[in-house]
Amino acid sequence: MYLKRSAKWLSFLLLLIAAASVSGCASMGVKVWERDILAKPQMQMDAQAIDRSMDDHIYFSKEASSGGRGFGGGGCGCN
Amino acid sequence: MKKRESIKFAVTALTAALIGSSAVHAADQDQVESSLLIYSEKDRVSAAEGIVGISKHLRGEFLLGLRLTYDGLTGPSPNGATPSSKIQTFTRPSGSGSYDTQPGRTPLDDTFKDTRFAADASLGRPIGRMTQVSTGFHLSTEHDYSSFGFNAGLTRDLFQRNTTIGLSGAYSRDAVKPEGGVPVSLSTMLPPSGDGDEHEGEDDDGEGGDSRNKDVIDAVVSINQVVDRSTIVRLNYSYSHSSGYLTDPYKILSVVQDASSPTPGAPDSYIYEKRPTGRNKQAVYGEVRRYLGGHTIDLAYRYFWDDWGVRSHTADIFFAWQFKNGHAIQPHVRWYSQSAADFHRYFTIKGEPLPENATADSRLAKFDALTLGMEYSLPFNSVSRLRLTGEYYTQMGDTSPPEAFGELRQYDLFPKLKAFMFRVGFVRDF
Repeated sequence: MYLKRSAKWLSFLLLLIAAASVSGCASMGVKVWERDILAKPQMQMDAQAIDRSMDDHIYFSKEASSGGRGFGGGGCGCN
Repeated sequence: MKKRESIKFAVTALTAALIGSSAVHAADQDQVESSLLIYSEKDRVSAAEGIVGISKHLRGEFLLGLRLTYDGLTGPSPNGATPSSKIQTFTRPSGSGSYDTQPGRTPLDDTFKDTRFAADASLGRPIGRMTQVSTGFHLSTEHDYSSFGFNAGLTRDLFQRNTTIGLSGAYSRDAVKPEGGVPVSLSTMLPPSGDGDEHEGEDDDGEGGDSRNKDVIDAVVSINQVVDRSTIVRLNYSYSHSSGYLTDPYKILSVVQDASSPTPGAPDSYIYEKRPTGRNKQAVYGEVRRYLGGHTIDLAYRYFWDDWGVRSHTADIFFAWQFKNGHAIQPHVRWYSQSAADFHRYFTIKGEPLPENATADSRLAKFDALTLGMEYSLPFNSVSRLRLTGEYYTQMGDTSPPEAFGELRQYDLFPKLKAFMFRVGFVRDF
């Protein structure tokens, strides 16, 4: 019961943070001509999508958790 | 080779980020990528997985993604029963034949052998200057499991494209067709019959027949934010609702003699596990990547919780050390810690009433896990790159839980898992 209540509060807190983030985001960031570093291949968060999906498949089949980075659903009889 | 304007690259990348399992790759160019993984547990399961993926820009600004996956798995796997001072004999999942476990050893089912084929396809497209939509489907098949699903996602850029918000959803329909039929949950494992059909019959969830279905609905909400010239962050919330047959038909629990018997803790019989028919999983995920004088550091954290009582923390650290000749090494550390599901137990006791749900599957037990890895990346030429990765993964659980009694006190009820992973990846732009 305590954990369920904690999870509800955590969800509420996260929504609050997300809402605050969006409004705070307006003052963050760079101009178009300042994107030289962000355009580098090693700064692309999904540059190794296949490797990460292989890792997720291993962890999904060995642990109770899934999701977070992407979908955490079905598609495999491994868990 | 087609070069696209950089803004479109960013939109495509972020869309792929949001559609977690999408085949759309965040490439700014047409690209083919392949990867081969060898996974090997000490004295247990070995697996090999190969993936080939392609992403290609089409006319009308469409981006097509295709991915094919093939994996094979073999080797013994824990069946959920506890070790014993005597030889234990278990009926194989097919219902015919049996396998033995020596005294003091963790019971392992050595009949596991499976291959899986999966295909994913997706199509993405910008709508106007600031919005990107994509849709996709997946299907996979194993000898006892099949899955079909589809997904869709939308992203929108804000604040001079420094912020991207996204929403994506997926639906999957899975069918489980266990070898030897669906066992009756919490029923006693019978001795081998030789005709392979004693598992068949009505289960207590009323579906009957040899197969069961599972429906999964997923949703992911995401914010990607450029912080400064060298830093980008991502915050995700994911929700997953599963309903239907969520039990593992191959897992069992030991029913052990009670404390007053002459052999307390010794196995009396075995029962098939049973899990609830619904599960709601939620996770929050944060990732920050920062450029540090030519190198890159990536930190990620996930908090996961579900209505089975599982809570977990996952932290990943990658550090990509870039050499001037284009080669790179990337050490990786991952730490994971989970609590047990409410209905996890290491065994049940003879004479005590059966719980509504019960599993002894170690994946639903309380444990910590650690991954240590290293990747070496080298360019072949300006358009292709090879990646070699080696990782070590270990799980550490409670080997002697407080509820253990009698002869169970002298055995590891959560044997340490040690696994090695080797991966070879190849990427080529065209």
